[in-house]
Parts: sequence; structure tokens; C-alpha cells
Amino acid sequence: MISRRALELATAVLTGSFGAAVVVSSLDNGIGWSSAGVDAGTFPFLTGIIIVLGSLYNLVRGLVPAASLANVPIAITPLELRRLAGLFVPAAIFVAAIPLLGMYLASASYVFAVLAIPKHQSVLRALAMAVATALALYVVFERMFQVSLPHGALAAALGF
Amino acid sequence: MDNLQELLHGFTIAVTVPHLVLMAIGVLLGILVGVLPGLGAPNGVSLLLPLTFGMQPVSAIILLSSMYWGALFGGSVTSILFNIPGEPSSVATTFDGYPMARDGRPTTALATAFGSAAFGALIGVILITFLASWVAQVALAFGPPEYFAVYFLAFASFVGMGGAAPIKTVVALAIGFAIAAIGIDTVSGSVRLTMGVDELVKGVSFVVAVMGLFGIGELLVAVEEEFHARAVSSKIDWREVFRAVGRLPRHGVALLRSAAIGCWMGITPGGPTAASFMSYGIARRFSRRGRYFGTGEVEGIISPETADHAAGTSALLPMLSLGIPGSATAAVMMGGLMIWGLNPGPMLFVDQKDFVWGLIASMYVGNIVAVALVLLTVPVFAALMRIPFVVIAPLIVIICVVGAYSVSNSYLDVVMMLGFGIVGYLFKKLFYPLAPLVLAIVIGDKAEDAFRQSMLLSKGSLGIFFANKLVTCLIVGGIALLLLPLVLQLARLRRKPAPSADETTVQDAAREKVII
Repeated sequence: MISRRALELATAVLTGSFGAAVVVSSLDNGIGWSSAGVDAGTFPFLTGIIIVLGSLYNLVRGLVPAASLANVPIAITPLELRRLAGLFVPAAIFVAAIPLLGMYLASASYVFAVLAIPKHQSVLRALAMAVATALALYVVFERMFQVSLPHGALAAALGF
Repeated sequence: MDNLQELLHGFTIAVTVPHLVLMAIGVLLGILVGVLPGLGAPNGVSLLLPLTFGMQPVSAIILLSSMYWGALFGGSVTSILFNIPGEPSSVATTFDGYPMARDGRPTTALATAFGSAAFGALIGVILITFLASWVAQVALAFGPPEYFAVYFLAFASFVGMGGAAPIKTVVALAIGFAIAAIGIDTVSGSVRLTMGVDELVKGVSFVVAVMGLFGIGELLVAVEEEFHARAVSSKIDWREVFRAVGRLPRHGVALLRSAAIGCWMGITPGGPTAASFMSYGIARRFSRRGRYFGTGEVEGIISPETADHAAGTSALLPMLSLGIPGSATAAVMMGGLMIWGLNPGPMLFVDQKDFVWGLIASMYVGNIVAVALVLLTVPVFAALMRIPFVVIAPLIVIICVVGAYSVSNSYLDVVMMLGFGIVGYLFKKLFYPLAPLVLAIVIGDKAEDAFRQSMLLSKGSLGIFFANKLVTCLIVGGIALLLLPLVLQLARLRRKPAPSADETTVQDAAREKVII
């Protein structure tokens, strides 16, 4: 179970650290005024500062038990968390598998795994949908629009 | 009457067989993305974007804008028939649209929604026809300080009128600016904010951000609640369609008021979502039947739908004449304009007359095509909703992955897209607005350039932003909008010295629900 407060804090920390990274990184480009006008780092530096300050404000608002936050103690229930993971984890594995398997094989395996393993569809139907997905991608991108999708290290090793 | 002549010329471009076919394709694809949860107008348009690179710009913009109209209509179909808003901007349509459809009047609800939507769009296009070239004419005299002031005003109006928590809007905007700055700096040529990753030198494309924020993010929000697509009958009774449309003029006041709200929110970037909620809220307060709202009132459908479409349409006005998109989808289209080699802004009205007036004429025709097609295809798309979500979700993930990859054939983009997905989920969950973030990614560089050029002109003095009446007005207006939330907060505190905690929580919760 994740509370709304924890979620607010986590997000504020996330945005804040991005802002801090922007501030530090923009210092390399120089901030302020030089002979060539406003230095390249100035604008990112200012946006970074705004992000950090805004995140701090959101962080404090998240820490103080403000009325509006106390009203929604639970942001994500365990059941919802399981559903979220059920969608996101396979998607992340799919993306991670693309360099090895290539787009076609990875997306076909992804569709098959998501449909067949939790028994949403019969194995046969899942297999058919997986093949259809890969085929549709191939026809639309490789053939119709001449966009080459990654074929993967495996295909390269096999000589495709 | 120059405008009318140009418009007639535009019609000769828009009303040709290839363009009518493109409109039909665009509208159908738009309804499809509008109906499917997780896919919306912004990522639908950005998916289609890489496929338009080989087209004439005017054909490409007709395809993309028709998709936008289709998506706006498609979102209302699912709102009314399934109580599931396909688009954030049609959430307000569920309040009265679904109860009416459930009570056995789905045709009346749909026809009322489409009729008032078409009216809203028509008012939006008429506004563009008469105002856009005038605004562009004024803008032709703009220098860098004026441009920066206009950008500033646009961003400030998100903070002041967007409806989301002001500081969250500011953070979202600033993150967008920082992302826009990643890569090679156009002025000095130095590499910025790559944090040592060489691949980031090319920058972060707004398409990648849109795919993640709106595609994966929305999917994650949608998967939380299990869908129960219990549709009411989706059969269309044609006689009732005409009867319902015929009854619309009786609600003339509501129509005109909602169209005005929509146009205002579209031009000052508040966006269609904020417009539809605002219009619904105002209608409930002023209608004589206000207390029946939520049980299937006709005006409860008319108000959000008219405002939604008026805002969606008029969002293209500032995009065309100033180069500032009024909504997330308009921002994506403007990104397309730049990729096609056009320079959005007043020069379009001088250099690219065919493009501008072809687009404006196509907006009249495209909306008629959209109304006809959406009525004809309601049963088909309603059937689509019966496909289980577990089947649709992985397909949408694949579409987003391929879409992000095909922008510049980069695997890093896919990984970033997934990261944006998590950010999109968190932001949606916590009511950070996404539209300003996308807008800042698209026009962040231009705003920065305008600022730096102004500074070069003035040798580093901020006084240039108060050098003449126009700039001063724009800047002061922007500052006023930035301070507006603070003033409202103070006013509320003064009126009610000690508000009871319960009261504020209920109000805050209601307001937060309304924001996204």
C-alpha cells in the first residue's frame, strides 16, 4: 500500500533531483553574461533553480499533513499495485529484450507471454495474435513506410 | 473581405478528392485513438507524424488536424456509451451524457453531443478565419522582446488559468524547458545537459516524451481500475438524430456561452480539458435546471462538448499566427510544421498562403466529415470497446515503443519513452499538468532564443521588456496571471477567516478531480 503522501514525496524528490542535475550540468556551460551575450548555461541554470525550488515547495506541502492530502490516505492499493506491475514489468522486459531479439521477435514473444501465461486467451489464440502482431509491424514499417526496425543481435548472429 | 477571398481559395485546395480521402482517413484514425483508452489525440498525432514526412505540408496538416477532430469526437462516444472518457477533455461529458444514454436515450445523447460539438468547432473556425490573419499582421512587427513577452504570457496563463496547483504547473513547465535545452545549443553551438551521454547530443524529441507521458502513463492509470465496458445500446435512430439536432437552438444561450468559454481557453493556452470543465461548472450554476445536472440534462451535455471543440479548434489560432500552440495536440502539430520545414508564426500568412488557408478551409470541411463519419461508425467503434483491455494494452505498448523508436532509429529513445511513462503516471496520479510540459519541450528553444536575442539587443538590460507599450502590457499581463492564484488564495482566506478543515478538503478533492 502506498500513501498519497509517500507518492507526493517521491515525485517531489524525483523532480528535485532532476532540477539539481540540471543546475550542476549547466554550470559547465557557464552562466551569466559574456562577450557573446547570455551564456549557454544561463537559461537551463534558471529553469533548474525553479525546478528545485518548486520541488522543495511540493515536498514541504507533502510533509505537512495538509487537509487536502489527509483526505486521500491511500493512493495505490495493493491490488492496484499488482495490476500496475502486471502491465509495466512485462513491458520493461519487452523493451530490454529488443537489442537481443529485435523488434519483431520481442513484440511477438511479449504479446504471447502477456496473453497466454495469465491464461487470458488460449495458447493457440495467443500464438496467432503474436504472429499477427509481428507480421503487421513488418508489413506496415519495413514494407509500406520503409522504416527499418531493429532486427536484434540474435538475428545478426544467425546471419539475417 | 480579403479573408473571404483567401478562404474561397483555400476551399479549392481542401475540397479535392485526395484531400477528402485524407480527411476521412484522419477522422477514422482519430476516432480510433479517441475511443481506445491509453491512446489520445497527442500521441495519435505524433505516431502519424513520421509517416507524413514525404507529403506536401498542406496534405500532411489536413491529415493530422482531421485526426485531431476525430479524436475529439471519439472521446465523447465512449464517454456517453460506456461512461469511460476516451480523452481527458471528454470527462465532463460523462456527467450527463452517460445517465441520459443509460435512461434509454443514447441516440439523443450522442446527437446532442455531436451537434453542439460541431457548433463549437464552427465558432472556433470562424474565429480563426477572421482573427488569425489580423493577429499575424500585428505579430509581423514583433521583435525578439515582443516574442519573448508573448511566450511568457502563454506560460503564465497555464499557471494562472490551467486549474492545476500553480507550483506543480511551474515545475512541469520548468522541466519541459530543461528537456528542451538538452543537446546542442542553437545560439552558441555548445553541448548542454547531456550528463555525459553522447546520444543525447541530438536532444530529446517531443514525440518520445508524448508517447511516454500520454501513452504509457495513461495506460498505467487505466490499468489500475478494471474496465467494465457495460455498453448501453449503440444503435442509432436516424430520425431521433435530426430531432435532437433540431432541438439544439432552444439552448442558444448555453451554446454561445460555452463556445465563448472554449474559444477563450483555446487561444490563451488553457486547453480543451480545462475549458470543458469550466463550461460545465458555469452552466450548472446559471442554468434554471442546474440542480438536475448529473442526471442526464441536455445542457449538461451541450456545455462541455461545445467548449471542448471550440477550444480544440481555436487552439490552432495562436499556433498559426504566433507560433504558440494552445493545447498539447497543437504543440505536436507545431513540432510537425517545423519538421516539414515551415516556420510557424506570422510569416506563414505571407509565405505559405496555400498552406494556411488550405488548412483553415479543411477545418470547415473536416468537421462536417467528422460528424458524418462518427455517426455512421458508432456501432463499429462501440464493438471495439468489448475487446478485453488485457489484449489492447500490450498492443498500445508496442505502438508506443515502435513510435518512439521510429523518430530517429534510436534505442535510447525507447528506454527514455518508458521513463517518461513512469513520470506521466506519477504526474497524472498527483495532478501535475502534462500539457505545459509538452508545450515547453516544443517551444522552449524558441522562447530561450527570443530571450537571449533580446538581451543581445539591450546589452544585458531587462529594461527592454518595458521599452514600449506593447511589450510592457504583455509582460505585466503575464505577471498578473502568475500572481492570480496567489491573489485568489488570499481573497479566499480573507472572506472565510477560519475555514473548517472538512469544507476545504471536500472542495480541494472536487477541484483536484476536475483538473486532469
